[in-house]
Amino acid sequence: MKLGLVIDLDTCVGCHACATACKEWNASSPVSGPLSDYEPFGAEPSGVWFNRVRHYEVGEYPASKTINFPMSCMHCADADCVTVCPTGASYKREDGIVLVDQDKCMGCNLCAWACPYGARELDESSGTMKKCTLCVDRINDELLPPEERQPACVLACPTHARFFGDFDDPNSEVSRLSASRGGFGLLPELGYKPVNRYLPPREPKPLVSLDDARALLERGLASLADPVIRR
Amino acid sequence: MKPTLSIIFFTVISGAGLGLLSLLALVDVCPDDILPKPAFTTGIALALALILAGLASSVLHLAKPSNAWRAFSRFRTSWLSREAVFAAALIGVAFLYGGSVADGVRDAVRVPIAVVTSMLCCTVLFCTAMIYASLKPIRQWHTHWTPANYLLLGHWSGALVLLALALAYEARPMPFVWLALAIGLAAFAAKLTYWRAVGDATNALTLERAIGVREGVRPPGMSVAQARLFDAGHSHGTFLTNEFGFTLARTHATALRVCALLFAFGIPAVTLVMGWRNAGIAGAVAALCIMGLFAERWLFFAEARHTVRLYHGDART
Repeated sequence: MKLGLVIDLDTCVGCHACATACKEWNASSPVSGPLSDYEPFGAEPSGVWFNRVRHYEVGEYPASKTINFPMSCMHCADADCVTVCPTGASYKREDGIVLVDQDKCMGCNLCAWACPYGARELDESSGTMKKCTLCVDRINDELLPPEERQPACVLACPTHARFFGDFDDPNSEVSRLSASRGGFGLLPELGYKPVNRYLPPREPKPLVSLDDARALLERGLASLADPVIRR
Repeated sequence: MKPTLSIIFFTVISGAGLGLLSLLALVDVCPDDILPKPAFTTGIALALALILAGLASSVLHLAKPSNAWRAFSRFRTSWLSREAVFAAALIGVAFLYGGSVADGVRDAVRVPIAVVTSMLCCTVLFCTAMIYASLKPIRQWHTHWTPANYLLLGHWSGALVLLALALAYEARPMPFVWLALAIGLAAFAAKLTYWRAVGDATNALTLERAIGVREGVRPPGMSVAQARLFDAGHSHGTFLTNEFGFTLARTHATALRVCALLFAFGIPAVTLVMGWRNAGIAGAVAALCIMGLFAERWLFFAEARHTVRLYHGDART
């Protein structure tokens, strides 16, 4: 198995619902919660997040495009964060999920240095490294209805820009979406083989010209009128 | 990268101790008696003190030191784990070696221990360097000049301490002067080559590369486009900006490089060539060199630009 996410950059509106839903679910998660906040109501609020949404402007105005860019752990097939870990706290599961054993981590930060995607954040309160668990405590919970056995970020997305599934299965929704929409992994040149796939924005369909619209309308009217006249 | 004082202290001070111990053991292996026995025992004790002080400092940067003992468990994959294992082995062997020198153990037994000690010193220096050199997201560290620098700079500062030691025990200074000059020249060349290598930005990653402009993340109908950060999505600092966001002004970097070169190489080279053979001066020069190496190591961190900075708006690494 190779579990991961597909993120559709075409439909993402950058609302941060995935990030806040993640924070809410994982704050009480037994896997790696809590996600500590520092000065949450102070002048300089900060804290641990597994998922962060950044916004970019690509191209020069007016031919520019705003790209909303959510990033979380890519659950790399060749995850250096696991290789460099000296304590064995970081590990990769059979299903592809990369996790941190909170009881073993010594907070040396080396795994965060090894990650080009900024997926790992040190929790100053516990002194341990924290990261996206792909909601391992949701996706395998048989007490939940099957449609809810998905990461919190996927369920929360109001534009359906996030998908969860197994990339090892060529017929899964994520595999088919990625194949049909030109899904790509970030920075493949670093050799980490990230699993998560991003779908680039689609080319917009060309607008219908006025002549085409008139022709369409006439054909439509004719097809309505014809049976009446024939009768 | 944020320059962390505990790690800078560890790599510089342990580096000097490892270099000193490595060279002491090598001098011991040489057939000529160029250093009196008390100098060996003092030197080994000093080297061990430096190594242990550095290792103690390295624990300070851990957020949860109570789990530090687990760092010995991933020898097969992690350079940090290898460093921990080899450092522990070295401490044991170094005490054995020190004991064999103090007890005047015969050469047939002592020399093999000396060889192992020297090899372990180099191994620990190499492992420390590989912790940094193995990190692919940091272009300025992911080069084979990183281990070359750590090995040579450790031995260079060690050689200056050894010269001071030799002068203090009234040994013939010239072999130690030549040793220091040879290592110093190599270390100087390695440092300059490292700076040249990291200054070459042809392999640098760009923000456009990071967000996949080539793969189609761009306005419709365009094949190339420039990207810039519009909003980072957080109102104040995060772990990522705190850890990786450190930026050094170019003018400060140049000034610090000159400072590092002057203290770590310039002043020691002048005193070596001028022929001031005085233990006090040699000791002060070794201390100045170590201060210069603090600046050099601080720059090693401050000038390293992690790939995640691209996602926070940097144009390139």
